[in-house]
Amino acid sequence: MMLHIKNGIVIDPKNGIDAEKMDIFVKNGKIVEESEVKGDVKVIDASNKLVVAGGFDMHAHIAGSKINVGREMRPEEMRTVRLVAGKFRASIGRVLLTSPAIGYEYAKMGYTSAFEAAQPPVGALHTHEELDAIPMIDKAALPVFGNWHFVLKYVAEKNWEKLRTFIAWAIERTKGFGVKVVNPGGVEAWMYGGNCKSLDDEVPGFGVTPREIITALIQETENLNLSHSVHLHCNNLGTPGNYETTIESMKLASKFSNDRRQVLHVTHVQFNAYSGSSWRDVGSGAAEIAKYVNSVDNITIDMGQPIFGHATAMTGDAPFQFTLHKLTGARWSNKDSEIEGGAGIVPIGYLPKNPIHALQWAIGLELGLLVDSDKVVLSTDYPNGGPFTEYPYIMAMLMSRKMREKELERVSPYVQKATGLAAIDREKTLFEVIQMTRSLPARVMGLDSKGHLGFGADADIAIYNFDPLTVDVTNDFETVYKVFKTSAYTIKGGEIIAMNGELVKEVWGRTFWVDATSKVEMEAIESDLDEMFSKYYSLERQNYGVEESWIKKPERLVMG
Amino acid sequence: MLILKPKFDFEISVEAEITPALALATDEEISNYQVYYGKDKAKLSDLFEISREGDDAKLLLDGDFSKVKWIGARMDEGEIVVKGDIGDHCGAYMTGGKIVVEGNALDWIGAEMKGGEIEVNGNVRNYVGCAYWGNMTGMTGGKITVKGNAGNYIGEKMGGGEIEIMGDTGDFVGTEMKDGTIVIHGNCGFVGGDMKGGTIKIKGNFELVPGFRKVEDGFEGDVNAGGKGKVLQL
Repeated sequence: MMLHIKNGIVIDPKNGIDAEKMDIFVKNGKIVEESEVKGDVKVIDASNKLVVAGGFDMHAHIAGSKINVGREMRPEEMRTVRLVAGKFRASIGRVLLTSPAIGYEYAKMGYTSAFEAAQPPVGALHTHEELDAIPMIDKAALPVFGNWHFVLKYVAEKNWEKLRTFIAWAIERTKGFGVKVVNPGGVEAWMYGGNCKSLDDEVPGFGVTPREIITALIQETENLNLSHSVHLHCNNLGTPGNYETTIESMKLASKFSNDRRQVLHVTHVQFNAYSGSSWRDVGSGAAEIAKYVNSVDNITIDMGQPIFGHATAMTGDAPFQFTLHKLTGARWSNKDSEIEGGAGIVPIGYLPKNPIHALQWAIGLELGLLVDSDKVVLSTDYPNGGPFTEYPYIMAMLMSRKMREKELERVSPYVQKATGLAAIDREKTLFEVIQMTRSLPARVMGLDSKGHLGFGADADIAIYNFDPLTVDVTNDFETVYKVFKTSAYTIKGGEIIAMNGELVKEVWGRTFWVDATSKVEMEAIESDLDEMFSKYYSLERQNYGVEESWIKKPERLVMG
Repeated sequence: MLILKPKFDFEISVEAEITPALALATDEEISNYQVYYGKDKAKLSDLFEISREGDDAKLLLDGDFSKVKWIGARMDEGEIVVKGDIGDHCGAYMTGGKIVVEGNALDWIGAEMKGGEIEVNGNVRNYVGCAYWGNMTGMTGGKITVKGNAGNYIGEKMGGGEIEIMGDTGDFVGTEMKDGTIVIHGNCGFVGGDMKGGTIKIKGNFELVPGFRKVEDGFEGDVNAGGKGKVLQL
């Protein structure tokens, strides 16, 4: 189908377009020049409407064993009916959603891509089965590397060729997208009841430190020049004083650079941005982190913004999840993924009057406001910080000081003394917020065809019912919030999939995966793989991994 | 008073969230009131013979309602009398009023109720006054009286109110109970696991989980949950 989106007010940060009246043309799922569109063209009148690229959630937990265990252990999350079966599939869920609900809710909001941020490699097949059950959006998954015995072993041996080969092998086998690192070394230490709280804590049994693991993984990810950089969930997450560990971790990237993108993406930084020495004097380290991130050009972050209300903490950081369980007394599930790491799941609710929760809320916003808009991606680390359906709340908050003042009145006064949020005058512009939700995440993931509306881009487009030239985003924050909740049109791959918050058509997005195997000689690790599988894995090597033909719509990105 | 009689023997479940307030509605509203027969939507008049006597906020359910779920759920006042058996979730979330079941009741009677009164002349099955799975608190107020026996899980995560069982009950009485009172006149199985507060009084035999210690008037626990719940002999 061909589309002509007429007279829309376009914001397209990647191409430097800031609220200009333009026409957009779509053919065969791509954005094309006007001359290519002839004959049977559907015209969409976008007069006085905002036209932007489809939203891109680069860090969410939408598939895999963790979210599924979350669903199992939280039946109370599964009582909200969102859609009764009919033309579309039944979809339910409060914050934890079923697979169809995830696709549908993203689509209704104008989001067209979401990447699963932590795939346990041994659970790769499950993750892809679940990704294949999510309609509407494009997807990918990041396998976790930071505690994998192969990685620890090769880092200890300083055998970079084997490490590089292993990364390429592992991403191919898991049909993954990049190198996720969760609490490097700490989850292995957790197998013995410990953790790696600082970058120099030794990982039991391997004689390596988180510092060495992170550095080596950045080095070899850059040598392979993968689409995405190392994606780091820092050590010492959720601990007062941890902002120093975060900055120290960021500094490990200082000797690396890449023309195309960052060399280190530090994720859900809010959970790693606490100052103080205990929960009694905990404060915000967001300003220090922002200062560091703004001073370098090889690091990006995402917010991990908490939303007041229900959430479920689920990370590959098993020791942190246990700490959280002890702290709140809430249910806890621990997961072990053989010699690759682990995970934990704990239900959580963020309450405005709770000083710690209010602090977390304020820190997320501080990061969003203080960090340059080409370095911070908007995220809730769904479902850790809350529902992705509340992204419009974060967008509105970043753009309106007035809204923040109003919200500050209903949260614990502790944030006034422990954070600098109240004193921040800065208001992000609509252009910047579109950048943080579209073009930047696409750049962070290294996907040229996403996050913008230039010729050749995927025709993933969101049209919203408001005119950026007349709506005052700082004063009319309620309108902004409401408008971004449901798009007027969501277009995915050139097809209209949702209109005014109603689903129109079910489509199946692609699953991106990265193939870097041509850059290495597999021979280097063959015997190691055979040995480790026969000794330590519960399954045979030939049964490990996911074949491309098993995935509904795979999209292989060959790293040349 | 609104009187409902099943038109036929239900083969599958009926879900009918009817409260005494329905008795105050017009004939047309009552007749068209939406219920579910299995997965299909149905009108109340498709499934029940409807008649009236007087105009007070009272429901009389005459016949076998054991396949009918959610009767009296969320009711806040008025009275429901069930002449036969009643199905699952009867009186769930109710905040006031009274339900009298002359026959037996199935699972989840008075689940998460906050106030009001439920009386069952026959037996009840499991999950009396419990929290729904995953929720933190069960019944927090009101009273449930059962003249017969009860099944397993009585007053799980109960946060207040009273449950009285005249007969015997099964296992897991007052598990994770926080407050309120459970009285059992017969025998029962395991009692008080992870109990944090509240009182359980038992006349017959019972089995205590290991986390209780002997105190002057009975037992206190569950120490594993740092609890101060009481299990006493009636």
